Amino acid sequence: MLQVCTDFRLSMKPFDIVIVGGGGAGLYAAMEAMKTNPGLNVAVISKIYPNRSHTSAAQGGANAALANKAKDDTVEMHIFDTIKGSDYLADQDAVEVLCSEAPKIIRELDNMGTPWSRLDDKTIAQRPFGGAGRPRCCYCADKTGHTILQTLYEQCLRKGVFFFNEYFAIDLSVEGSRSRGLIAMNIKTGKIEAFPAKTVIFATGGYSKMYWNRSSNAAGNTGDGQAIAYRAGIPLKDMEFVQFHPTGLRKSGLLVTEGARGEGGYLVNALGERFMARYAPEKMELGPRDLVSRSLETEILEGRGLDSPAGKYLLLDLRHLGADIIKSRLPQIREMCMYFEGVDPIDEPVPVRPTAHYSMGGIDTDNYGRTIMEGVYAAGECGCVSVHGANRLGGNSLLDILVFGRIAGRAAAEESGKFNPSAIPESEVTRIEHDLRGFMQPKGHYERYGALREELGQTLGLNVGIFREASKIRKGIEDIESLTERFSHVRVFDTGDIYNTNLLQALELKNMLDLAATVAAGALAREESRGSHTRNDFPVRDDKKWHKHTIYTYEEGHPRIGFKPVTMGRYELQERTY
Amino acid sequence: MSDTTIQHHVESRDVTFRVHRFNPQVDSKPYFDDYTIKLEKGITVLRALNYIKEHVDSTVTFRAFCQAGICGSCAMRINGISKLACTTQVWDELDRSRETGIIRIEPLRNLPLIKDLVVEMDPLVGKMKKHSNWVDSRMPEDEWGKKEFLISEKEFLTYDKATDCILCASCVSECTILRAHQEYVSPAVLLKSYRMNVDSRDGIHDQRLAGLVKDHGVWDCTHCYRCQETCVKHIPIMDAIHGIREDAIERRGTKDTSGARHAEAFMDDIAKKGKLVEATLPIRTNGIAWTVKNLLPMAFKMVLKRRTPPPPPLVKASKGIDALRKEFREMTGHVTKDHQKKSGE
Amino acid sequence: MKRYAYYQSCINESMTKEVDRSIDLWQKDLGIEMVKMHESACCGGSNLDFVSPKHFALVNARNIALAEKQGLDLVVSCNTCLMTIRTAKKKLDESVELKREVNEILGKEGLEYRGTSQVRHLLWVLIDDVGLDTIRKKVKTPLSKLRIAPFYGCHILRPSSVLGKDDPLEPTSLDLLLDALGGKSIPYEHKNRCCGFHTLLVAEEESLNVAAEALREAMEAKADCIVTPCPLCHTVLDGYQAKALRQSGLRGSIPVFHLSEVVGLALGYSERQLGIRRHIVTV
Repeated sequence: MLQVCTDFRLSMKPFDIVIVGGGGAGLYAAMEAMKTNPGLNVAVISKIYPNRSHTSAAQGGANAALANKAKDDTVEMHIFDTIKGSDYLADQDAVEVLCSEAPKIIRELDNMGTPWSRLDDKTIAQRPFGGAGRPRCCYCADKTGHTILQTLYEQCLRKGVFFFNEYFAIDLSVEGSRSRGLIAMNIKTGKIEAFPAKTVIFATGGYSKMYWNRSSNAAGNTGDGQAIAYRAGIPLKDMEFVQFHPTGLRKSGLLVTEGARGEGGYLVNALGERFMARYAPEKMELGPRDLVSRSLETEILEGRGLDSPAGKYLLLDLRHLGADIIKSRLPQIREMCMYFEGVDPIDEPVPVRPTAHYSMGGIDTDNYGRTIMEGVYAAGECGCVSVHGANRLGGNSLLDILVFGRIAGRAAAEESGKFNPSAIPESEVTRIEHDLRGFMQPKGHYERYGALREELGQTLGLNVGIFREASKIRKGIEDIESLTERFSHVRVFDTGDIYNTNLLQALELKNMLDLAATVAAGALAREESRGSHTRNDFPVRDDKKWHKHTIYTYEEGHPRIGFKPVTMGRYELQERTY
Repeated sequence: MSDTTIQHHVESRDVTFRVHRFNPQVDSKPYFDDYTIKLEKGITVLRALNYIKEHVDSTVTFRAFCQAGICGSCAMRINGISKLACTTQVWDELDRSRETGIIRIEPLRNLPLIKDLVVEMDPLVGKMKKHSNWVDSRMPEDEWGKKEFLISEKEFLTYDKATDCILCASCVSECTILRAHQEYVSPAVLLKSYRMNVDSRDGIHDQRLAGLVKDHGVWDCTHCYRCQETCVKHIPIMDAIHGIREDAIERRGTKDTSGARHAEAFMDDIAKKGKLVEATLPIRTNGIAWTVKNLLPMAFKMVLKRRTPPPPPLVKASKGIDALRKEFREMTGHVTKDHQKKSGE
Repeated sequence: MKRYAYYQSCINESMTKEVDRSIDLWQKDLGIEMVKMHESACCGGSNLDFVSPKHFALVNARNIALAEKQGLDLVVSCNTCLMTIRTAKKKLDESVELKREVNEILGKEGLEYRGTSQVRHLLWVLIDDVGLDTIRKKVKTPLSKLRIAPFYGCHILRPSSVLGKDDPLEPTSLDLLLDALGGKSIPYEHKNRCCGFHTLLVAEEESLNVAAEALREAMEAKADCIVTPCPLCHTVLDGYQAKALRQSGLRGSIPVFHLSEVVGLALGYSERQLGIRRHIVTV
């Protein structure tokens, strides 16, 4: 039986900042907030131990125009590459913040102890990455995200950040246009607890796991923060833009880093051709992700893929790099290929196919991470500033979470004094407790969340995947609606309080279903092809009608779509070729 | 990742997972449930557990997140050895299991049990905090972001492997000494401490080292190498532990810990006799009072059985001792030179 | 008669003299000869390497060089000596620089470390060179009535990067030998675990907790005795047995044999001849 928590926190004075999510963005925000004002009461609420967050899976690196490797690299070039990569949907003022803060943030990470691979002159090493005009991706072997995450976690421990590990965020407590704080479940006890807070920062990562087995993401990348904010009345932005990474492993969808191509890997089809010559003759394998993913998908659709019981695939050939480079620069990748695919890239090409990887969309924020709701912020993949527009460049996601995590942390620290939220009413806690218990009641006809989750991934992959068209998307929308209806019959069989993962996975599915509706609705609405969003029935970019952000608000259980202009700057709209 | 679509392979068979169950709300003690499912070759233990959770028994509880061997969530004991479920092949475990067709799944050891296969990680985090497992930068915070530290690839390589650690706690679970005393620092924390201590950007080396040489610290390790052998990232954890000891002796001498005095005694004896003088080892390690209190009661029986080691004057030096002494001294010269070179850098 | 350079471990020269004594008795029966190395020095016992890595390399390069001079493999009957000397050998074989530095010094004594002699445990020699079939044939009084708990100890197994003969977590060699001697080796979890010796003088409470658990498991598995290939494990499990059990509130006792003793027993030698009466726990 779940217990309502007549928790001490209901009556206690609010936290200055409650951060939901303990990945790179959340931890940077926490650390920066403590740095801005050491007297603040900062809590990080995370459904897993923060050091397990999905930031750790980012292998390749983070872009910054340090000009360590290419002496002529500049912040301006980084800005241009990012805007062009975004297919001109990024807000140019936000991109300027991202790229000009980049060198600072990489140095700051170095200053606090992040291990970076080094060049001969002892500066931070950089390597080429897709869509970038210069080698500016800073890395630590192929474990960059992991080492950054560990460093940030260590620094947060040093600074005395208050961690609530294994707490599952459920709801934002809202009064009019203001937030009172957060309501979450203590996973270890099953208690529903209130976290009154002057400010809340959502940093829960992306939502690409809604593609389920067609996704490279961790099981928990279910868009919890976006879904909570959305249901609480905060708009989402650009949700239709989901990036497919070109090189997921054939069997598992797990990712082979772009660094593998950065180090010089080839993409090869069944005929043995380096087929990227057809699509990006100059950049070849190092074209931007949307283009390379589409190229792979086209090769497969046109019958030049290889066939296996686990599906059609292509090959990533690293053999010519030699054992030494593979062992020293890509050790984790080699291990993954061996564990999950049974292939040693030293001896054999690696079977790959595109996999849903990153969500460009998220909670609509300004350049300081603020949402339209007083005291509520979002950062990282969870938020959408937007710096990635219609397509994110490799090496810009770690950068995004660091730069905007830090900015949101500082903004919340500076602004938290302005807010004086009222207490979270106990009735809200009781209501949630009641709702959750509803899942556990025996039902005549019941559904298992596992099957629904599987079907959601399948319909998204088939109907709202790399290549999209109206009829298919409509089918997808129908499926999502029917799955949402069936979800009301989901039964949770574990009726215990302690560590009820059965219940958690059901709640995560609800979040994915709500967000999937926005992705599909946006995909249908946007009648053009831009960045990761490719419509067979509208194959070209239509700047006249569609050079604008999509905005989603939650109305009676459905998304209502609105629009917002793109902030332009120095760079005019251009055709995007590589 | 799919839990229901199991890869298409020729070979398939029934596999029984004997899973440790315990829900403190209802169970007075742990028990095992057997789940027999038909599996095809190539599947990992984690995917099999996911399948069980979704199709057989939703109440089976375990942690899993990235499912790709990088987050460290799904460490558990599989056929008695701590490892990640997501990188472990069912077929490999079938080869290892003692009872044909049965794979035992148990929670990690040496951490408090929460439910089924889930253990409390807070004690480990507590130890990380206790031993300042972070770089405390030499650079003041308000200077951060302005310029890089210049670090050689050579220095990077001294902590490169150690930063592979994903805190999965397999080493914690396998640690001999932790099992004997829960306050022991733990292999993972020693590894992280070492990683911080060799980082030239860190400014609290001496303070951290002082904490590590205290009771339940680095000298309690019994060199069983289980941590290293079961490390899911193949990190040579014992090298880190030895590294801390080497550093402790070099910087702090041997006065403050019995472990260091114990180690130093080996050096002395080899230099003098070429072999260990065991009779006085306890005194040199722990002092006379300790030796009288702890070893005298046993000495009587040892004498009866002629098992007492000979007193120092009776320990015959090795036959080639003169040559050895000379060589030892010569090497001491080399080492002194090395140190001078190092401190000059 | 196959010959080996036999490295005399410090502990076997002082406290566990029965080990070398029993090997002396039966070595010729099995067609092997252990040529004692009188000039060798203490290996450093898994301690010297972190006091001074270079002295550690020097001493053990010299130990191995002494065996190489005779053209023989170096054989030990102590796990920690095995692991320690093999660790040094690995370091020397992997570093041209270290090898050169060490040889420069050894050269003055007319010695050179070349890396040609293998460093092996007595158990490995019995299995790989003598062979289980030969041993089976030579057995006169099989240990048929004994349920034996094999206790491998750590340093014959781990680190596997240095040792590599057995699976470090699922060893079999000692079990196979005991079976060849006619005994029945029984499974129990602690057989590949630690005896606690290396913390005995540093953290005695922890160390004896470790030993007590091994003893308890062996006794619960209804073993008649424990057999170990390592005199350090023997020292803890036998010499400190009473104290360890007392500390953990356990009753009873269990005899602990050296590997060399059970080989002797099976080959027909008496307890007295083998020095078994020197044990602390009455057999």
